[in-house]
Amino acid sequence: MIDLISSLAAISGQSRLIVDIAMYFGLFVIVAMALNFQYGNAGVPNMGCAVQVIVGGFTVSGITTRLTFWIVEMAGVQLLPYRSDYDWVYNNFRNVSVLTNGYLNEHPMLCISLLLFSLAVSIILGAVIGWVIAVPAIRLRATYLMITLITMADASQIIGKNVVQLSGGTLGMFVPNVFAFYPGDRTVIMAVITLFIGLISFFIFRTMLNSPYGRLMRAIRENEITVGSVGKNVVGIRRNILMFASGITAISGCLLAFYFSYVVEANYQRAFWTYWPWLMLILGGPGNNAGTFLGTALVVAMRRVIIVSKWFFDAVLFFPIAYFEQILLGALLIVVMIFRPNGLIPEKLLYIPGINYRQLVREESKVDWRAAPKAREKGKRITFIRRKEDK
Amino acid sequence: MLLPAIWMAAIVYAAEITILSIGFTLTYLTAKIPNFAHGTYAGFGIYTAFTISRIFGLSPYIGFPLAFFIGGLVSVIVYVIVIQVLTRMGGGAIVLTIATLAIQIFLTAALLVYAFWIRTIYKTYTVGFLLKDMDFEFLDMPGIFTVAVSICVITIVLLHYMLTRTKTGIAMRATAEDPELSSVLGIDTNRIQIYSWFLTGGLAALAGAMIPLWFASSPYTGSNMIPSIMAASLLGGFENVYGAIIGGVAIGFSEILLTFFLQQNIGVWVGEYRPIVPMIFLVAILLIEPAGLQVVYERMMASGTGRRFLRVIGWKMEE
Repeated sequence: MIDLISSLAAISGQSRLIVDIAMYFGLFVIVAMALNFQYGNAGVPNMGCAVQVIVGGFTVSGITTRLTFWIVEMAGVQLLPYRSDYDWVYNNFRNVSVLTNGYLNEHPMLCISLLLFSLAVSIILGAVIGWVIAVPAIRLRATYLMITLITMADASQIIGKNVVQLSGGTLGMFVPNVFAFYPGDRTVIMAVITLFIGLISFFIFRTMLNSPYGRLMRAIRENEITVGSVGKNVVGIRRNILMFASGITAISGCLLAFYFSYVVEANYQRAFWTYWPWLMLILGGPGNNAGTFLGTALVVAMRRVIIVSKWFFDAVLFFPIAYFEQILLGALLIVVMIFRPNGLIPEKLLYIPGINYRQLVREESKVDWRAAPKAREKGKRITFIRRKEDK
Repeated sequence: MLLPAIWMAAIVYAAEITILSIGFTLTYLTAKIPNFAHGTYAGFGIYTAFTISRIFGLSPYIGFPLAFFIGGLVSVIVYVIVIQVLTRMGGGAIVLTIATLAIQIFLTAALLVYAFWIRTIYKTYTVGFLLKDMDFEFLDMPGIFTVAVSICVITIVLLHYMLTRTKTGIAMRATAEDPELSSVLGIDTNRIQIYSWFLTGGLAALAGAMIPLWFASSPYTGSNMIPSIMAASLLGGFENVYGAIIGGVAIGFSEILLTFFLQQNIGVWVGEYRPIVPMIFLVAILLIEPAGLQVVYERMMASGTGRRFLRVIGWKMEE
């Protein structure tokens, strides 16, 4: 069975681009959906997506790698020393790519449990970091929250650059290949798994948004003072939302680390993981998941196509393609904000299953005609108030 | 040298941060948004000074007025094309802040393109450069030390004069307090906004033009300073220009001197974490007193001991 899949998945050229786009779509759709959950539905402007994504990456490099080394050493494979900072980076390639992956090659169950372990730990650590970054500013105005989160995204990158034991510093480090047992192309199965996780998180978010809690979130977005006055803990709900979405966002960083089999802090830049999800969200339309999907697909496809057709652009432009991409995406966000402020797919009214809206609109309420004589001349009046049943 | 080099570096840096945070606070007062692109205006100042000195071979100080003008122009264009339109459409604070983030990325990319273009044409270093060799000597010290301090002081004095004595400045303060009421009183709020954006952009670029004379500069230098600017502004109360002056001096000094002190006492590795210092300040301010020094001042004015303390340190107060 595995042989069949791997023979089908012998990819090159054009299909490599498709796999790449699928992978990045899966990664970004998780982040963008979590952002839609926070900003589009609850009104929490999380400008620190990069922090949560980097936590996912560091989970793989700092925790999973160490755990794998420990397991492999227990099994009797002699690893090169890795305790000190220098050894951690210097022996990293041989330790991971030759010794550890060689062992993982023959133990598929260990690989799968390592993947699940990394996902679980990154969700938990993401939620913890969501709580930590919420502490200074969650009670204050949204502006303060944005400022704090943006600076924290920078801070996380500085820490990643300098704490060698975490992610190998500026050189980066290899992480164990959890698909070492898979004979075909690793990127294909990685993309499939990422898309699958994206689908699961989509259903989780959809269920949450249609639940009473989701309606409460929208109420907080519209008017937090009113929600607070009816006895809801607005700050607590906001913090919970930030924590939950942070956990989901961290999955994306974890998967990115496994996709590259490599972690370096430069992969988790603020512009990359905060600005682009926001662009996708605003482009597609905040508040609905369909818009998020569309926005993510458009931006990811555009970006990958720009990179792939680099040679064409280099002949036309006099400056490197990376700057052109930044200019294009920066201008795109402003243009969308000015000309399509609600995004490509505007938010629809909330649909609650189990309520017959058509009937709700058609039913008339009892009107005291003496109080409203003019209304009688117009005939029957359509109101939006449900009639109480007479008994 | 009258002063050790580290003190001079701290003073120059504090002067730059002060001017930048004054501009940031003015933008926040008039437009009610934290302008993330504010640091990038400084980048335009940096490259104006670079072009004047490296390409045309003149003293970088000649570039200062030009930098002021270019920064103001960029800022006004940003306001007219983006911020004004979005404000009219009813975009809230969050939407406008995201827009400034997009502008920051756009302008940084424009600077990168400019740096690349200059490099291909003139075959010179355009990233990570210093202009110290173009500086003059004054009192056995680098000229930028005197110039930065005097520009900072002159800016503060002129700004104080403008905000309290001239009609435009008073109209600016009125617009900051209540735009609708001031437009009822016959103030053209739009024109006042454009003045204020020109002023803030110009000041930012002026501060930016001073950066390459002491610190290594690249297109990212300006945008990397934004945490320091915001921390300074937040320390001063976020809605008070005079608070921003104190905040700028405090953050500028602490960022350099605190790191230097820790490097001498703990180890050299602390220096790598220098960008985190303003962030720690920012978080500490938000945790302890989100309204900054302004509230501290108000509390001191309210209590008897505080008033006595202010009188002892020579604070003039209206009785």
